[in-house]
Amino acid sequence: MNEASGSKKMLSLICLIGGVVLLIWSLALDFMGTKAGYRGALLVIGIIGIIVGMYLLPTLKYHRTLIYVIFLFPLLFAFVVTVIIPLFLGLFYSFTNWNGIRYTEFVGLANYTRMFKQPSFLWSILLTTLFVVFNMILVNLVAFLLALLCTSKLKGMGFFRASYFLPNLIGGIVLGYIWQFIFSNVVTQIFKGMKYSMLADTKTAFIAIIIVYVWQYAGYIMLIYITGLNTVPGDVLEAANIDGANAMQTLFQIKIPMIAPTITICTFLTLTSAFKQFDVNLSLTNGTGSLMFMGEFLTNGTQMLALNIYNTAVVENEYAFGQAKAFLFFVILACVSIAQVRISNSKEVEL
Amino acid sequence: MHRKEPTSRVVIKFVIAIIIAIYVLFPFALVVINSCKQTADITANPIGLNGVSIGQLMRNLSDVINNSNFLFWQAFGYSVLITILSLVLLALFGSMTAWVICRNKTKWATLIYFTFIASMIIPFQVVMLPLISTFRDVGKFIGIPMLQSVPGIVFAYLGFGGAMTVFILTGFIKGIPYDLEEAASIDGCRPEQVFFKVIFPLLTPVITTVTILNGMWIWNDYLLPSMMLGQNGKVKTLPVAVQAFVGSYVKQWNLILTAALLAIIPMVVLFLFAQKQIMEGMIEGAVKG
Amino acid sequence: MKKKLLAVALVAAMAASLMACGGGSSSTSSSAPAEGEATEAAAPAAASGEGIRLLNGKPEIHDQLMALAAKYKEETGKVVNIETIGGDTNASDELKKMYQADNMPDIFVIEANQAANWDGLLADLTGEAWTNDTDYELVDAKMGTIGFPYTVEATALAYNAEILEKAGVDPATLTSPAAWQAAVEKIDGMKADLGLTAVFGWCAEPANLGWSSGTHVFAQYLDAGLAQDDTTYIDMLNDGGKIDEARMTNFAAFIGMMNKYSDPDLLVDGTYDDQVAGFAAGKYAFVTQGNWINGAVIGSPDYTGWKMGFAPYAFEDGIDTIIAGPPSFWTVYSEGKVDDAKAFLQWVSDDSAQDILVNQANLISPFNDCKYTAADPFAESIMGYMAAGKTSGWHTMLKKDGLQNKTCQVFAEYAKGTLDQAQFVSTMAQVIASYYNQ
Repeated sequence: MNEASGSKKMLSLICLIGGVVLLIWSLALDFMGTKAGYRGALLVIGIIGIIVGMYLLPTLKYHRTLIYVIFLFPLLFAFVVTVIIPLFLGLFYSFTNWNGIRYTEFVGLANYTRMFKQPSFLWSILLTTLFVVFNMILVNLVAFLLALLCTSKLKGMGFFRASYFLPNLIGGIVLGYIWQFIFSNVVTQIFKGMKYSMLADTKTAFIAIIIVYVWQYAGYIMLIYITGLNTVPGDVLEAANIDGANAMQTLFQIKIPMIAPTITICTFLTLTSAFKQFDVNLSLTNGTGSLMFMGEFLTNGTQMLALNIYNTAVVENEYAFGQAKAFLFFVILACVSIAQVRISNSKEVEL
Repeated sequence: MHRKEPTSRVVIKFVIAIIIAIYVLFPFALVVINSCKQTADITANPIGLNGVSIGQLMRNLSDVINNSNFLFWQAFGYSVLITILSLVLLALFGSMTAWVICRNKTKWATLIYFTFIASMIIPFQVVMLPLISTFRDVGKFIGIPMLQSVPGIVFAYLGFGGAMTVFILTGFIKGIPYDLEEAASIDGCRPEQVFFKVIFPLLTPVITTVTILNGMWIWNDYLLPSMMLGQNGKVKTLPVAVQAFVGSYVKQWNLILTAALLAIIPMVVLFLFAQKQIMEGMIEGAVKG
Repeated sequence: MKKKLLAVALVAAMAASLMACGGGSSSTSSSAPAEGEATEAAAPAAASGEGIRLLNGKPEIHDQLMALAAKYKEETGKVVNIETIGGDTNASDELKKMYQADNMPDIFVIEANQAANWDGLLADLTGEAWTNDTDYELVDAKMGTIGFPYTVEATALAYNAEILEKAGVDPATLTSPAAWQAAVEKIDGMKADLGLTAVFGWCAEPANLGWSSGTHVFAQYLDAGLAQDDTTYIDMLNDGGKIDEARMTNFAAFIGMMNKYSDPDLLVDGTYDDQVAGFAAGKYAFVTQGNWINGAVIGSPDYTGWKMGFAPYAFEDGIDTIIAGPPSFWTVYSEGKVDDAKAFLQWVSDDSAQDILVNQANLISPFNDCKYTAADPFAESIMGYMAAGKTSGWHTMLKKDGLQNKTCQVFAEYAKGTLDQAQFVSTMAQVIASYYNQ
């Protein structure tokens, strides 16, 4: 026993020391400016050495804590590097004239005040709001009706359910191109009276985006409504039936009130996902479309917030400005989410 | 059970269901039909079957698959590699993290948990730009390129997928009685053995759920890989490859739709095999998330 | 038993993650040393076998550039890797991302107005031997000679000579709005006899063809009729987005004529392919493209071998020039393998490379000592304008980057008829001014 723990101790110390040495060595290489390719391997082996060493440390007292640390490390490290650090860096950059690489000046709130003077950005906010409202209503309505259809006892319902859900499997970029084809080639062919594609005009292009979005998303929301409807107890429905309630009464007085939590979930899901809409917007219209807004001729008629942010930074090369817009986007989304949580909590109390 | 619906209404409902199904599936049918045509036949009549031939489909496929902007097999391979690596690591590290959070009632654990939950409302756009510069600097610092590389993007998916994964898993682990673990401890199991022997096997259903949710997201994700990998890098995922292919100003619909077909097929095939699990996973995720 | 299984699974997962990292580091080890050497000395870099990277923005010449790289390897043993990005607007966006990712190619394509984005990052090519053989290199006041011209492109109203001949219209006379009006009405009246769909194949679709209307057609406002080095209107434009209202009004009238006599199926929502295919099939007498369509036209099964040429956008009396010159340049990244890149560019300006670029890629050479003439059916017409000194500059490439994405929408609205001629001018003025003031 003693001997075993002694050798274990040795091993653990070797791993720990070796790991630390490798780690320092690789970092030293970095500071000396060598670009040797084995640097990365050294670092990884070093970190693993340290972890193994920690694991093998023959202490009973701290073993549990060490295990907790080892278990937390990988995901937490990734999370900090990919989310937390960029979040604070981004907040900082939004007050500078950052160009994606470096910044030379601290500009205070200039980026934030500037965006409210930019009609094209204000239009993107307005358009996104309109889009969110339309979608929330349409997707939920369509999905609920589909769910009612799919919960009635019909033959082949499994097939219908699966096929309504199918569009949700496909990524927005690919869907956008497919629908671009449909709007510019197929729809104009079917309705000969159309002068040009729906995508060529801002208003109809907006409708087109909504059509694609409902087509893609309704099937998914439908699934959630089906789950909700299935939780309505059969005996309640039967009781209503015996009392002579007709289908409409059952729907409005029993089913809908009973699935209120589901409705909240679905509203929230459609709301946030419509807010973040990017892929379809990019591949279907790329934000083009023109209109007169606030006395200016705008050329981003169908450009929603997410795409506006992307274009500001990546295409127009204004990284700091794009970053500031992104923070406003974040604030809006956070307010909506918090309001949502509040509402759903108060509802659940009522139930 | 209760009153039978009149046949006429059943028939009407059935017809409506079929009409909607046709509408929903119509775009898919168009993709298949027009992938088998030449551009001229598509322009002439995009709906009809004129000019459809298997030979043309083969020609379109070989044009698309070997196109230097698309390189289907390479993009497909990278998509599979990136998705699987991310899913495996997310499931493993996610459940490890969730377990520690559940079993460790310290302030630190609570803080970590709430940071994860709060981070779920952060839209990708907010961190997207500084993420690239952070990854560039980290890559330079450690000597492993984090941009335009597989380890880099898998690492990013660990970071972005972590919050939701941990959230769903913690909800599940909280429901596992602590007695189980205590019994194992008394039997002489060390904490890591308790986790891998007792807890991890119990997590199968919930890991299936998070894997489906994360898988759908990672496989179809466009913005993150397009920022991190670029359109001309060696490493490209399928959505990025499709965008790189179509983004050029040459609009040959037969080739574009063939590319779309290639991008759709893997998902549809997977769906046919795991339809039930995918639909249930998506519902679970929505209800819990 | 279960424990063992779990252990195996865990080891497999660890191995997988290690492999991921290992894969990454092994791919670094092949590229990183090359980078390191490049910053130190150029000599060993050539031996590393990695070669230099060239980012091309013209997908239509990708295969020919691959042939060029093969030839270079054959002659010098050095490697050039060709990377192509489809679509000319994408290349500059992608380059920004590549720069962000610290993954810059050694040679890359830019348009003249993008030079400012790369301030301090482009190598000065002053004194290279090839600069003596061309008039078209890109010179920046601050950075010196930065751009290598790899092609000359021309744009104006491309015509189908056979149709004009049948209609009895001499393109040489099309140098005034009145002459154009008369010719267009004449051709329009004979559409059925000539087998034409419309006089013009002009497409103002903004999402995919914004570069065509917003950059190329707009270029005519800036340069038509001006001498190669006359920068009157681009200077006005770059001075806070001013336009010459009288000139813009005349230009608008001319575009209005094009809108009226264009194929309605193409005008608002057509595609580049439809436009070129229609021209190749003899459906249009004129198209609003440049000599880069030659490959697509010749390759079309409907093309019957007729000649093509360019007629000027004569929206004012006496405009008789076409726009010709290099629309984009190859530049050398100053932190890349500069010497290798310079050697390659010098080789490209020499005989064996020009043979490939001119005879295979059908490019028109910007070099005086090039002895090849492209098999481009436009070549004769372009050479004629060049010989007579009737070419104007590509100053449209000096407008503020991204302006074309705004102006193309104004062209589109005009084409749809939601703006009339006067509104086109006022909207154009307002859009440009607000873009410059942003």
